[in-house]
Amino acid sequence: MNTLASAITEAVEAVRAQFTGHPVEVVPDGTGGVFVTVEDVSVGPSYAPAVTWLGFQISAAYPDADVYPHYVGPLSRTDGQSHGPAVQSTGWRGQPALQISRRSNRRDAIVDSAALKAERIRRWLADQ
Amino acid sequence: MARRPVNPPAEGWSLTIPHRLWTELSAHLFPSGGGAVLLAGHAEGARGPRLLAYDLITATNDTDYIPGEYGHRALAPSFVRDAAVRARDESAAYLAVHAHGGLDRVRFSSVDTASHERGYPALRQITGQTVGGLVLTPHAAAGDLWLADGSRTPLAETVIPGGNLLRLRPCPATATPAGPDHDRQARLLGDVGQETLNRLRVAVVGLGGVGSILVEELARLGVGTLVLIDDDTIEATNLPRLVAAGKDDIGLLKTDLAARNAQRANPRIRLIPKATRVEHPEALKELALCDWIFLAADSASARHWVNATVQQFLIPAVQVGVKIPVDSAGYVGQIHTATRIMLPGDGCLWCNRLIDSTQLAIDMHPKAERDAARYVPGVPAPSVITLNTLAAAEALNHFVLAATGLHDDDHDHAAVIHRPRTRQRDLQDPRQDANCRWCTPAGRLGRGDSGSVVQTATL
Repeated sequence: MNTLASAITEAVEAVRAQFTGHPVEVVPDGTGGVFVTVEDVSVGPSYAPAVTWLGFQISAAYPDADVYPHYVGPLSRTDGQSHGPAVQSTGWRGQPALQISRRSNRRDAIVDSAALKAERIRRWLADQ
Repeated sequence: MARRPVNPPAEGWSLTIPHRLWTELSAHLFPSGGGAVLLAGHAEGARGPRLLAYDLITATNDTDYIPGEYGHRALAPSFVRDAAVRARDESAAYLAVHAHGGLDRVRFSSVDTASHERGYPALRQITGQTVGGLVLTPHAAAGDLWLADGSRTPLAETVIPGGNLLRLRPCPATATPAGPDHDRQARLLGDVGQETLNRLRVAVVGLGGVGSILVEELARLGVGTLVLIDDDTIEATNLPRLVAAGKDDIGLLKTDLAARNAQRANPRIRLIPKATRVEHPEALKELALCDWIFLAADSASARHWVNATVQQFLIPAVQVGVKIPVDSAGYVGQIHTATRIMLPGDGCLWCNRLIDSTQLAIDMHPKAERDAARYVPGVPAPSVITLNTLAAAEALNHFVLAATGLHDDDHDHAAVIHRPRTRQRDLQDPRQDANCRWCTPAGRLGRGDSGSVVQTATL
């Protein structure tokens, strides 16, 4: 049995609600937090593919800890340009990924919750 | 005022009262007398169960604290009811507090005891929690606990972690003469002071340049039990800053080196090495059983988890750090060492913006992904043994004087900042956010085993 702080189970439920209709995989990270992967997330026509997965860790230190960084499946820009700042190729949990490094300055645990930040990251990426 | 007796840690049930609550309670009780209720969380301790006071409800004289039917004064039934409802709803122990005259000794009167026997069985049934009475003088405390399991027990000691780490008992402890090894030291600390050190359980989190010095000196001081926490191994570049380390030690766990040094310094010492990161449940469990924590690791995660333990389990700590800013062009900025006293119920590391939430998120990543998660790759920070020694000495002197009641001012817990380049030594008082979720009654303060460090739910 995996046990988690109630703040994390609540955060996971909020992510599921934020991304209703999307499969959400939740895997314990081994230290009291979880790895979350939201499937079939739209990142818009600037990328190929236009739909991918969005992954992040909600650590045992949440909500004191930020959710950072975020990861998506490998993407190419449809305009042929390279990715801009804060986006770099890496690996996440044994698979190739793009890392999106967007820290929350003056973080507010409510505004910058795991669910709301995940959606903001998706939109930010789509707008690049 | 006469010097307070120094009492070594006692076996049995204890109550810990955060410094700010104690200050408020003292002002309410002394010298004119008054009544109050403390609400307290629970935790296991190294010497017995602990009650952790997190909130104080003071009774207004003549409204809530009224002439008694049997004794001089008593808490009004409506006041008792409201406090008991809070205790029930918050799963907290209920402790009614009053003061007696005198200084170094205190005990319940026969009227007090009769009152307990009339009232506490019913109050325990109503709350479903431990209930009891606490009687205080400025230098002594006695408690009568009616436990949730139906039994009854006296309170062995009341602990107040402030500028001094006060331990109040019903009457002063008698001293066991210090052994010849510590004779010179005991001439300052006293036999009871030396015995206090021997009975303390102290943790050192981070066994690098600062932690290595801390362990050496704590062992030589005669601290009885050391909990040693670090998951790192020794590298060649560490050798100039680790006490008694040699080339053969490269690759050795830092906990093993620290244990070897401590054992050499004091063969009777009890050691609990944990070669894990501090957020590992085993390390957190050991940390929560300590009397004092030295935080000598500079990661955001170490700061967060030690801060959480300090506030949730009411354990004083000192954070020790050295900052040597050198930019890529070699320009050396203002070097400083910081020794921050972390008191439960007082401005915590979050309130003082000393933990970065993004850095904390990175630190919590699995080791294999941690470096990649940094957008800007980290570079090793400068580190010099003499600066580490300066910071460690400040922290150790604070500890030894606090543990033996030798600080002039119980209220002084300012951080000490040394700036060696300008030879300045400054004090900084911590600030506190009114609704901090760690160091205020609105948060995890004193919630012990029911707080979020160990609170879990099923996935």
